[in-house]
Amino acid sequence: MTRYILRRLLLMIPVAFLVTIGVFVLVRLSPADPALVFAGEERDPATIAAIRQELGLDRPLPLQYVAWITRLVQGDLGRSFQTHQRVLEAIWERLPATLELGLAALVFSVTIALLVGILSAIKRNSVVDLVATSATLAGVSFPSFFLGILLILLFAYVVPGRIFPPGGFIPLSQDVGDNLRRLVLPAVTLAAGSLAVNLRQVRSSLLDVFGHEYMRTARAKGLHERTVIARHALKNALIPVVTLIGIQIGAIIEGAFITEQIFFWPGIGRLAVQAIPSGDYPVVQGVVLVSAFSFMFTTLVVDVLYAWLDPRISYLTASS
Amino acid sequence: MARSADLVPDGELLSGATVPVVLRVPNAERAGGVAYFARRNPRMIIGGALVLAWLFIAAFAPFISPYDPIKVNVTDSLLPPGGAHLLGTDDLGRDVLSRVMWGSRVSLSVGLISVSIGFLVGVSLGLAAGYLGGTFDLIAMRAVDALLAFPALVLAIAITAALGPQIQNAMIAIGIVAVPAYARLTRGQVLAVRAREFIVAARTIGAPTIRIVLRHIFPNVVNALIVQATLSTAFAILAEAALSFLGLGPQPPYPSWGQDVNYSQRYLPNLKWWMSVGPGVAIFTAVFAFNFLGDALRDALDPRLRRSA
Repeated sequence: MTRYILRRLLLMIPVAFLVTIGVFVLVRLSPADPALVFAGEERDPATIAAIRQELGLDRPLPLQYVAWITRLVQGDLGRSFQTHQRVLEAIWERLPATLELGLAALVFSVTIALLVGILSAIKRNSVVDLVATSATLAGVSFPSFFLGILLILLFAYVVPGRIFPPGGFIPLSQDVGDNLRRLVLPAVTLAAGSLAVNLRQVRSSLLDVFGHEYMRTARAKGLHERTVIARHALKNALIPVVTLIGIQIGAIIEGAFITEQIFFWPGIGRLAVQAIPSGDYPVVQGVVLVSAFSFMFTTLVVDVLYAWLDPRISYLTASS
Repeated sequence: MARSADLVPDGELLSGATVPVVLRVPNAERAGGVAYFARRNPRMIIGGALVLAWLFIAAFAPFISPYDPIKVNVTDSLLPPGGAHLLGTDDLGRDVLSRVMWGSRVSLSVGLISVSIGFLVGVSLGLAAGYLGGTFDLIAMRAVDALLAFPALVLAIAITAALGPQIQNAMIAIGIVAVPAYARLTRGQVLAVRAREFIVAARTIGAPTIRIVLRHIFPNVVNALIVQATLSTAFAILAEAALSFLGLGPQPPYPSWGQDVNYSQRYLPNLKWWMSVGPGVAIFTAVFAFNFLGDALRDALDPRLRRSA
């Protein structure tokens, strides 16, 4: 196992290197001059030249990359052009809000997917199954921002009593009740897409497992149906679901960019989206890099978990 | 299930000779075949019909849309659905239905062009990596892994943010995001068929590499690619809508579904729901159509991918 993890970590190095090159090149592709953006209203050529020199923009691109990556490994993502705040600090401040939203969405998505998925597989071709399978297909096609808007319309404006507010964020430390009330709509919005995919996977994995002989053996032994499902079916059916949850974490990271914008949720997605129009590239670059590295790390953890859960997987073949 | 067909000899009968025959299916049976196909593949019919309907609307929007989608008419502002405006009007009195119809041109063209970009680049990369192997394969696949390291929409947002909020840049961004799926799929299929006898035979008789790849390998990959292209068109439409929603697509006043949903947000407290519902339902039905068709095509074209459910 240790060898497998080390091998996966080694394989990540060239990919991480390419990711940093990609993010660096992206910002340099931009038609806007970072020195001008940094200068704001200032248009004095001498000041612009000084800023260009200070930011290292007058040096050749490979040297700029080396300087950038050197600072990056020291945890320095640069400063925001707009607020002049350190990017890492800005991300760090907003990370708890994003993590709270992501975690709530993940818990919601996995719980509902498991409950409905199991019910749907056990009662195959029933009304529950039909509704669940149709809803999954609709769920993957439904734009999250449209769902968010419909939820706001319904629960914040149409239903009397304003059950859930249309947006905003109150830290958990300040008021737990209000925080949770404001969390519901964005969490449901963010979870919807991945819920559909997870539900579909739970259902088809279970149906696949139901066809195996050990299930017949378990039933032939006279075990209670509930034990057969919980002990024999679920244990094996959930292995592919673990991988899928890993993939869904990527969907939740990208979904946060949209959901945080709709619900005025002060997370890192909103930080990046608000930095785009003003050309605040260090912030966009920082958030994109943090998202990519978090996604890579989660994928690694899920792969390791998958290999650990399923003893049939050879660590060497799983890594190739 | 086998169907009866008339066996019709092709040409003159020669005694003792093996006569080639043509299977001719009578017209009535052919019509029955279409009905049979429709009964067996309702998802393909529904998905295909919806896709065709959206393509028709996009192609003929200038002729079939009831109003000019960008013409401001303040006297008709915020009219609810019904009467002269089937889907209502927005705050500037612009007809929502006309904007939805014109918006389909943006969504579908971004969807189809970005998928074409992803298809061309990804398939070429996958064919070359799978067939050539070695260092090229190693470098190409690490580059693909690097693209996969980004959550897809985050990468599309980053590329569009860097290049500038324009429709062409959204196409490029979504196209780049689509490359890894095609490259991996093609490479996998190439590796699976590369060692088969017909490829070895073609190589033995001295067929050039390009011919082997295009004539012998590509046709074996094409079914899986058709399915992938249909499903990734659904993703591309959704991604374009998301980019437009964030202000990274076509700029106002030109109609775009995602941008119109975003714009409608400010009228939610006044319960002007129709401004969101028109473009929102349009995105949903277009994405649903391609997903539905892709799912059905996957079952029909690639039995290995047939779902257990």
